[in-house]
Amino acid sequence: MNSTENTRTEPVERDGRTEQMEIDTSAKWPLLVFFAYAIGWLIVGGALELAAAIQLHTPTFLATCEWFTHGRLAPAAQNALVYGWGFNAAFAVGLWLMARLSATTLRHGGWLFIAAKFWNTGVAFGVLGILAGYSTSFELLEMPRFVVCLLLVSYALVGVWAVTTFSIRNTENVFATQWYLFGAAFWFPWLYAVAQLMLFNAPVRGVLQPVVNAWYVHGLHGLWFVPVALAAAYYLLPKILGKTIAHYYFAPLAFWWLAIATAFAGGSRLIGAPVPVWIPALGTVANFMLVVPVVLIGLNLFGTLSGRYGALNGSVTLRFVLLSMLAFVLGSAANFAFSFPGVAQVAQFTLLSGLRDWLLFYACFSTAMFGAAYFILPRLTGNEWRSPALVKIHLGATVLGVVLLTVGLAWGGWSQGRMLNDATLAFTDVSRAMTFWFTYRTVGLFVLLLGHAAFLVNFAFIACPFNLSGAAPAQINPPPALEVLKA
Amino acid sequence: MSAEPDQNFRLEQACATDDSIQQVHAQLQKSKPEKKGGYPLLPLGILGLMCTVVFFGSIYLAHNSLRFDPLVYSEQASREKPGAVKVVALTRAQLGKKVYDTTCIACHQATGLGVPGVYPPLAGSEWAQGSEERIIRIVLHGLNGPLKVEGKDYNNVMAPLGGVLKDDQIANALSYVRASWGNSAPEVTPEAVAKVRAATADRKTYWTAAELEQIGQ
Repeated sequence: MNSTENTRTEPVERDGRTEQMEIDTSAKWPLLVFFAYAIGWLIVGGALELAAAIQLHTPTFLATCEWFTHGRLAPAAQNALVYGWGFNAAFAVGLWLMARLSATTLRHGGWLFIAAKFWNTGVAFGVLGILAGYSTSFELLEMPRFVVCLLLVSYALVGVWAVTTFSIRNTENVFATQWYLFGAAFWFPWLYAVAQLMLFNAPVRGVLQPVVNAWYVHGLHGLWFVPVALAAAYYLLPKILGKTIAHYYFAPLAFWWLAIATAFAGGSRLIGAPVPVWIPALGTVANFMLVVPVVLIGLNLFGTLSGRYGALNGSVTLRFVLLSMLAFVLGSAANFAFSFPGVAQVAQFTLLSGLRDWLLFYACFSTAMFGAAYFILPRLTGNEWRSPALVKIHLGATVLGVVLLTVGLAWGGWSQGRMLNDATLAFTDVSRAMTFWFTYRTVGLFVLLLGHAAFLVNFAFIACPFNLSGAAPAQINPPPALEVLKA
Repeated sequence: MSAEPDQNFRLEQACATDDSIQQVHAQLQKSKPEKKGGYPLLPLGILGLMCTVVFFGSIYLAHNSLRFDPLVYSEQASREKPGAVKVVALTRAQLGKKVYDTTCIACHQATGLGVPGVYPPLAGSEWAQGSEERIIRIVLHGLNGPLKVEGKDYNNVMAPLGGVLKDDQIANALSYVRASWGNSAPEVTPEAVAKVRAATADRKTYWTAAELEQIGQ
């Protein structure tokens, strides 16, 4: 069926497809390397996270091994997931989207190999450094200082090609996906370099340090992971549905408002902390302001999907994107809620405060990357996914895990906060009462890890050049041109 | 979209070309929604939302930023004068507790009841609540010999403290004694102590109860 359609297409369209195939071929090996590293770290980080979660309800687990004590294991897991999985996946998806939408091949792939190698060497040394006891005391900046330069230089090598690809684009117009990718490409190095400078190279004094740290952690989620996830969603929805983004004229406003307000929102993490009062107050207001772009982006994305929910049945990518969009709204709502002092008093230092970052990093960003990967990888490799069953396992485990953990961490975290604020309850009693929820969290993380394992196996089938026996070559139909629907 | 149900799990087909996505959205970005008579409701609603968040955000900031004062760390600080320290007025009696607790408490006890038969009580004592002239003298130069307090006889020595305590410390301690444990006598001022100290500057020996009873009738 596909081949007959292929022969019948107009020469112009075939030219378009040929061009896209050239782009995909140029991007194939660098991006496969990024994907491979990303999925590797997803498994490693997930295993470390699971071990750290087990220690919360079974304290004797691995307790005799110095390298795997909870204080080392938990940050090592978080860093492996964020810098290992998160960044490699963002690099792969971001570079592909940028090359496709700029209608230009990804040049100098060799440099990207080197960058991938150095970045992941840096992350590996960083995670090992944390396990060996050389971590710093700042959240998400725990990696020892000797890997920082390596990470920044290799990031620059990746980022420069994203920006170069954009600047040599062969298209007249620029799409929302490109705004978010272009923005994120500059926001991350800005956040990371400033945080490193102000916390380690020329440390600011006393109370300013947690302020810088909170600004970095919030910015990393809101100005790096969320924009990359939105970039993927803005591209994949019209691409798969063949429908324009609804209310697209709101998108520029949402983009600028999101970028500016998020940069000020980090202070809301410091409610009740010994910092000048105006910093958390400003953060609260910034989170309040963020209601506008969240509503606008919601109108864009859910508006596009509305009336076409039937398409979800046939599309694994759309289902992941829908999950990601729901998590974006929920994560933003969590940030909004936790920036009120009354809620923060209960939510701080509980499972809930972990939930807000997890919602944006995992439930929003990671699921968007899964969806994009299911769309991109057959185009990169020219092969179909070999096992639909494994795809379904991955999808099912992700949905189940996200729902389990969101509900469980919210419920458990709230009761934990209530108990911690009750002066008549001893801390040990609170910990004992929380055993159920910590066990529940372990189960949720295990479900997610199962899905990741299924993803890894399917990725190995599709990407490994020596294992083609079961993978059919992908028949990609030339898509029709998008038209404005006359309402 | 697909004949086989699983086909899209193997390969996701695209329904729009990349360049058409860009072209169409570039048009959409410029074009505003078509009016179907009246005003378009959605942009108005968004404008309303924007105004609402800016309005409430400004109010919240005005109430909670405490004028962006870099030195205010407490959310409970006063909004009008965020940096101001609230002055809490303490009475002499409150200030005197500290002097009493370091100097007098060893003999007269925290309860002001003294030790029966050894150290006379201050609580309810007619001496403590009586003439300030007498008790200032006792503190300045000490007391020796028999003494009747609340109908009971005591015979002991109280050391002179005039060299150790300053006028306001003596005044505060005496005010504390005269306002505590059910006592209610007017407070003693440092000026009164200074006056007595000047008047008795020549005194080198302890007072006796008999001598004191001549004073401050």
